[in-house]
Amino acid sequence: MNPVIAVDADIGSLDPGNRVGTTEGNIIRSVCQTLVRFEPGKLSWSNDAAKEIRQVSDTEFEFELNAGQMFTGDFGEMTAEDVKYSFDRYINGDNGKKLAYADDMEALKSVEITGKYTGKLILKHRSAALWLIGICDASGAILSKKACEQLGDKIATTLIGSGPLLLKEWRPKEQFLLAANPDYKGPFKARVGEITGKIIPERRTSFLAYQAKELDFTAFDADQLDTAKTLPDTDVIDIAGVDYTWIGINVQKGALADVKVRQAIRWAIDVDAIIQGAYAGATSRAKTLLAPGLLGNWADAPLYNRDLEKAQALLAETGLSGLTFSFTCLNDATSLAVAQIAQANLAEVGITLNINPMDSGAYWALGADNASKDLELTLIPYTSKFDPSFQTQWFLGSQVGLWNWQHWNSPEFDKLHQQGVETLEKAQREAIYIEMQKLLDESASCIWITHGRNFFVDASWLTPMLLPNGKDWQFEYFDRA
Amino acid sequence: MIKAQRTAAFIASRLVSVVLTIAGATLLLFLMMRLVPGDFASVMLGPRATPELRVQITQAMGLDRSIPEQLWLFFSRIATGDFGVDVVSNRPILDIVMDVIPNTLALAFSALALALLVGIPIGVIAALKPGSWLDSGLALLSISFITTPTLVVSVALFLVFAIGLHWLPVAGAGEPGDTIDQLRHLILPSVALALGWIGYISRLVRASLLDTLAELHVRTLRAYGVSEYRIVGLYSLKLALVPIVSILGIGLGELIGSSVVVEIIFARPGIGSLIFNSIAQRNYPIVQACVVFIVTFYIIANLMVDMINALLDPRIAAGRG
Repeated sequence: MNPVIAVDADIGSLDPGNRVGTTEGNIIRSVCQTLVRFEPGKLSWSNDAAKEIRQVSDTEFEFELNAGQMFTGDFGEMTAEDVKYSFDRYINGDNGKKLAYADDMEALKSVEITGKYTGKLILKHRSAALWLIGICDASGAILSKKACEQLGDKIATTLIGSGPLLLKEWRPKEQFLLAANPDYKGPFKARVGEITGKIIPERRTSFLAYQAKELDFTAFDADQLDTAKTLPDTDVIDIAGVDYTWIGINVQKGALADVKVRQAIRWAIDVDAIIQGAYAGATSRAKTLLAPGLLGNWADAPLYNRDLEKAQALLAETGLSGLTFSFTCLNDATSLAVAQIAQANLAEVGITLNINPMDSGAYWALGADNASKDLELTLIPYTSKFDPSFQTQWFLGSQVGLWNWQHWNSPEFDKLHQQGVETLEKAQREAIYIEMQKLLDESASCIWITHGRNFFVDASWLTPMLLPNGKDWQFEYFDRA
Repeated sequence: MIKAQRTAAFIASRLVSVVLTIAGATLLLFLMMRLVPGDFASVMLGPRATPELRVQITQAMGLDRSIPEQLWLFFSRIATGDFGVDVVSNRPILDIVMDVIPNTLALAFSALALALLVGIPIGVIAALKPGSWLDSGLALLSISFITTPTLVVSVALFLVFAIGLHWLPVAGAGEPGDTIDQLRHLILPSVALALGWIGYISRLVRASLLDTLAELHVRTLRAYGVSEYRIVGLYSLKLALVPIVSILGIGLGELIGSSVVVEIIFARPGIGSLIFNSIAQRNYPIVQACVVFIVTFYIIANLMVDMINALLDPRIAAGRG
């Protein structure tokens, strides 16, 4: 029996550097080889395409590929030239066009070929993130130079790989079919013959389809948890998320420029009530930027439990009254519920919130042309990567007017970010990121809501494999129980 | 000869009107979409959308050009059947739309056929027994069908026929080439989409048939002793169907519009869900292509309705209807 699973989005582009969603990322990681591959369900990695990787210095790595690794479609054997071609696209762009995921390889300066199977990765600076979010992930997929040159723009719809699986079929808007690659030479051979991915954007539909036994694995919404637990021959998977949703406060806007007003808002908003009311109590509360489990999680971060007296005292100190702010959010039910609870909370301290719901197109356009300058309070949901520098980058001064909607600009934070990027020692990095979160906390520009939670059901005969964020699936490790 | 010239002139004028309507509707939507805030790069890439990438994608979509230039390009391209290339997948937009159109047409036509097959008999039965308990019961049933949201119907059908009885599949459009499988996947969405129209058509047929049965020529037929069965079956129903056929043109357009909900719920690829997602993503070229197809289809459907009406009621063909 081969698993049939639900994915919530169709394939957009199969070009690793221009992919748009997790569906493509998951497919690319299983169809293409990377120098090193994540181990099952872990953030640790071991060699895949690489026979050996040797660190020459902080900024130089030598690699040697396994011989005989063949690309599908008769595109020949993988050589160091393919590695160089694949990574150079991130450095130089593809025909002069910057790749959407170019920043994943930001630290990479060049790739040098030293032999048929050997080469060197030269870094601009020391970088831990390069391996975690670049080389191990879909951005690190090694493409066939010959195939890419032959396919041209068609690499967006044709994936030539050498990994454990191959993309046997893709029917746009319907389904894709992954099959075990018989020619895969690496150590991570696929454990099931085929995996069918049905494209079902609505989670309620996929959950119903699972109950109708049309699917063997799907994600579902938190409010279906009780139903999921009663389903026969079913395992329920519950993974704490590492994403982050927060209420951003624009520190440059009117009365919000006063830190005491921001602190008062933080004390007045009842995050626990938001978790219960908007998230059905099915997710845990966040108290800082980096989720538990990520390097740099600030376990001792203060928890701002609602305290109206403190909020009112702070407002009294400012001498301001009759404050009115806008609260911008996406127009989905959860975001609106968060907005309404915050509105009711702040009304109790005399602050009026006007809710400004937006559809996703208008909302994400706030990240361009300084459109965020007029925002006041904003509910922001961001997805995470496994390296903390990915999360902290959106709070930099250089992101003001782009994605730093708090408009909070701290040279100290920026300096620490750069240090974090270039530091390799784990303990030092941890200290740096905790320090950065302390600065964010002092700014009172963010009210952390949740890191999210991911729920899945799978038929008891199947063992799916997911990375610790619950979003990145490892099809190559899907197995029979 | 004069008749042939008149026919040719009529066809020519209709074709010009078809082209102008398509151009007008497309132009309207084209301009409306430019007023909507948001850009494709931001929606697709979120915080990864750097200013450089935004410019790149805007250029690739041709959105950096002036509106008149964009309009000229768009219309000159579609005149040659070229809708451009999708900026994400690099697939021709025509292919993307053509992939899903058969599914939507199958859904719309099957729902319409179902609505007619069930709605007309209900309307006739109700009209033959006006004021009876049967008429009242069918009125209640019809109005229930009209007022129950498609979403609720869809979920109820799911629960009963897919999860409860395991008779029919939930998601997708079925395996290509496997007609039986495709038909099985079509049943629940068609019923969900048709239900409201069953109610609507049955009420219209009832009212129209009652009007027709009250006309003088029917009284004359009755006076000649023609059986009620023949009066309804051969004469009155045909005339009573004229207004039904007229609304079918509009109905087909409406069904394609409503198919968005059904396609999303049943995870069925189709033009409804394609246009919905493309609007959310601000993928203007795909939205524009979809609109051209929908408007063209709608206009052709209405042309066909005109022709069917002329067949059903010769007075219409003679310009006296």
